[in-house]
Amino acid sequence: MIKYASDRRYFLAAIGGAICASHRVMAQDALPLRIGLTPVFLDNEWVVLEYLRDHIQAVTGHATEFVQRRTYKEVVALLLLGELDAAWLCGYPLLQHADRLQALALPVWNGAPRYRGYIITADDRQASEIADLRGDIHAYSDPDSNSGHLVTVAELVARNERPDGYFSRSFFTFGHRNVVRAVARRLATSGSVDGYVYDALARTEPELIAQTRVLWRSGWHGFPPFVFATEARNASATRAINDALFTLDQTASGRNVLGQLQLDGFALPQPDSFDSIAALMSRVAERD
Amino acid sequence: MPLRLTLPLSVRVPLMVSGLMVVMGIIASQLVLTALVRSQERQLSDLAQSEFATLSTTLAPLIQRQDIWEMFDVLDRATQRVGGFSPVAAALVDEQGRVIVATQPDIHPVGAPGVALINAATPVGQLNYDSAQDQISLRQNVDFQGRTIAALIIDFDVTELAAERRQTWFWLIAGNLTATLVLASAGYVLIRRVLAPIGRLSREMSQPGGASRAFPEAMIPQYDTELANLYQTYNGMIRAVEARGLTEKRLSERERFVSLGRLAGTLAHEINNPLGGLLNATDTLQRYPDRPDVVQQSAGILERGLKQMREVVQTTLHMHRSDQSALPLTPADFDDLHQLIRPEVERLNQSLDWHVAITNADCSGLFAGPVRQIVLNLLLNAAGATPVDGRLGLHVAARDQMMHLRIWDSGPGLPAHLRPRLLSDDPVEPGGGLGLRLVRDLVNQLDGRIALGQTDAGYHMIEVDLPLWTQDDA
Repeated sequence: MIKYASDRRYFLAAIGGAICASHRVMAQDALPLRIGLTPVFLDNEWVVLEYLRDHIQAVTGHATEFVQRRTYKEVVALLLLGELDAAWLCGYPLLQHADRLQALALPVWNGAPRYRGYIITADDRQASEIADLRGDIHAYSDPDSNSGHLVTVAELVARNERPDGYFSRSFFTFGHRNVVRAVARRLATSGSVDGYVYDALARTEPELIAQTRVLWRSGWHGFPPFVFATEARNASATRAINDALFTLDQTASGRNVLGQLQLDGFALPQPDSFDSIAALMSRVAERD
Repeated sequence: MPLRLTLPLSVRVPLMVSGLMVVMGIIASQLVLTALVRSQERQLSDLAQSEFATLSTTLAPLIQRQDIWEMFDVLDRATQRVGGFSPVAAALVDEQGRVIVATQPDIHPVGAPGVALINAATPVGQLNYDSAQDQISLRQNVDFQGRTIAALIIDFDVTELAAERRQTWFWLIAGNLTATLVLASAGYVLIRRVLAPIGRLSREMSQPGGASRAFPEAMIPQYDTELANLYQTYNGMIRAVEARGLTEKRLSERERFVSLGRLAGTLAHEINNPLGGLLNATDTLQRYPDRPDVVQQSAGILERGLKQMREVVQTTLHMHRSDQSALPLTPADFDDLHQLIRPEVERLNQSLDWHVAITNADCSGLFAGPVRQIVLNLLLNAAGATPVDGRLGLHVAARDQMMHLRIWDSGPGLPAHLRPRLLSDDPVEPGGGLGLRLVRDLVNQLDGRIALGQTDAGYHMIEVDLPLWTQDDA
């Protein structure tokens, strides 16, 4: 993690130069930073946002306004409209708007900025593979979620199945935790969930996770990134958020944020960070 | 015959009052419980309708959007609440009767048939629950923009309310029971005290053997005018009964003398008949004292005449001897009766049919006095009722442990207005009885029975059956 943060500071030095030195003084009168979120990742995690707000204030001098919407689409729309300075999105909506959006940083989890999608089912169910899930009531997370939708749809396409007919019924919960709840409560007989969220919940809500089990794991994909609008690449707010993300390990609040989210830190996006997601998109698009 | 427990009035009335108070207590308890149930149901109905209104408003747009998770989440959160009347399960069923979503998806999965859920639930406006149940299932339609889009079914937990109701029932019933028992006991004691003079009166009136007596003045409750009047009336009745008893006794004696008087006429006639012959014999003796043959003949006439008179006198004496009633009956008693009635019958130029077919053994347990009095009275009445030249008769037989006496005559029969004297124990006016009530009383004393009948020849007949008593019966 240290390595990634250091790289980011080096990068900023290259593009920002001496401007950074006067950044905190200038920010005193600036508008608050507006960061978009969805409950897809952060559900019932307001304490994390408090720590993050404190950290950003401490590092950048900016106040922070978190703007939460239910779906990725709503957050993306606000981002494209310039209503947000940055947002924590998923690689899938980033790629859907690759011409106007750009990744700022990727969280590092278990030593790497990547994660997998899981298909889960009830813990006591007699099923061992995706083929056993035909006719299920399936819970997705968000139509624009990679792990919570695209991964499963693409896998079904790869198996020459029609995703809209494979399950008897499907619905969106707009939250990975909700997918787990839906399966645990038997509202859905299977669900598509973010592997990172699932594993994190295994620590914080083991009794919930215990009612489910992972049936299938996808391949590795680029971790859902912080994203900004391309046209705001030189905006001071973008730089401030960038600074805040790459210095989380340097303040107590920042360390609390990482601890709560079970993350190691943030890394710069690489050119191939989201290639696997792009491949899934292509597969699905070709099917259509 | 069913056994009936008869309680005295002084116990029965207090018991009835106590019973009525218990019934009143039960009715009052029932009314209070009913009011409590209604009140609780109204309260529950209001709470339920509020719950339905809130959830329906929230759910309607979600149903429109088919947002299964949000519907589930809303219902699930609603059923996680705790409280006295909180939803524990909920379901939405669409117009086609399929489950849209339910908080117990393992039982009611999405898309499953949901008609049974609707049928098992009560419309929220008709809430009515049994305290034995821990849950009640209510339903209400969810309307959106004037159209019904689903039925919302909610199972409410009423454990606390049911427990509260049961507890209220318990205390109410216990309280009412205690109050009722206290009041019923007090009522019992009070009414017993009030009715004590009535009870005393009743006990006095039901003395064994009918030996009731008037209350002394000191025992008459002066504080209560009505009771005092009742006691005075009772005392008056007792005195009247005593007076009547004396009258009846005198009447009975008189009837005995009436029959005796009637006998006296025939007796005089019986004595008068030989008297002429005797006087003639005496005259002959005085006129021819020196003719032994005449004296011998006259003395013979005198002896026979005097013997005849002695027989008549002895029979009459025998009839009215005071110790007569204690002697056992024998066939000879009927001979005496024949001797007594014959002159009356001859005087009226009537013919008497006398048939006594019994032996000493047939008279077991019967005493001469009452039987002779019964037969003589009935024969005298028969002779009186039979016209001159008419016929009457006596038929006596014994069989089946009964002595059967049949007295018949060719007269017009016992007039209707006299029959109650002979055939019933109803009170009778004094006089004109011809000894019939005396016959009735004597037959009753002997446990016998009297009936009216007809002989084969169509004559009116009085039938008297007297039970015979053996040594074993005694």
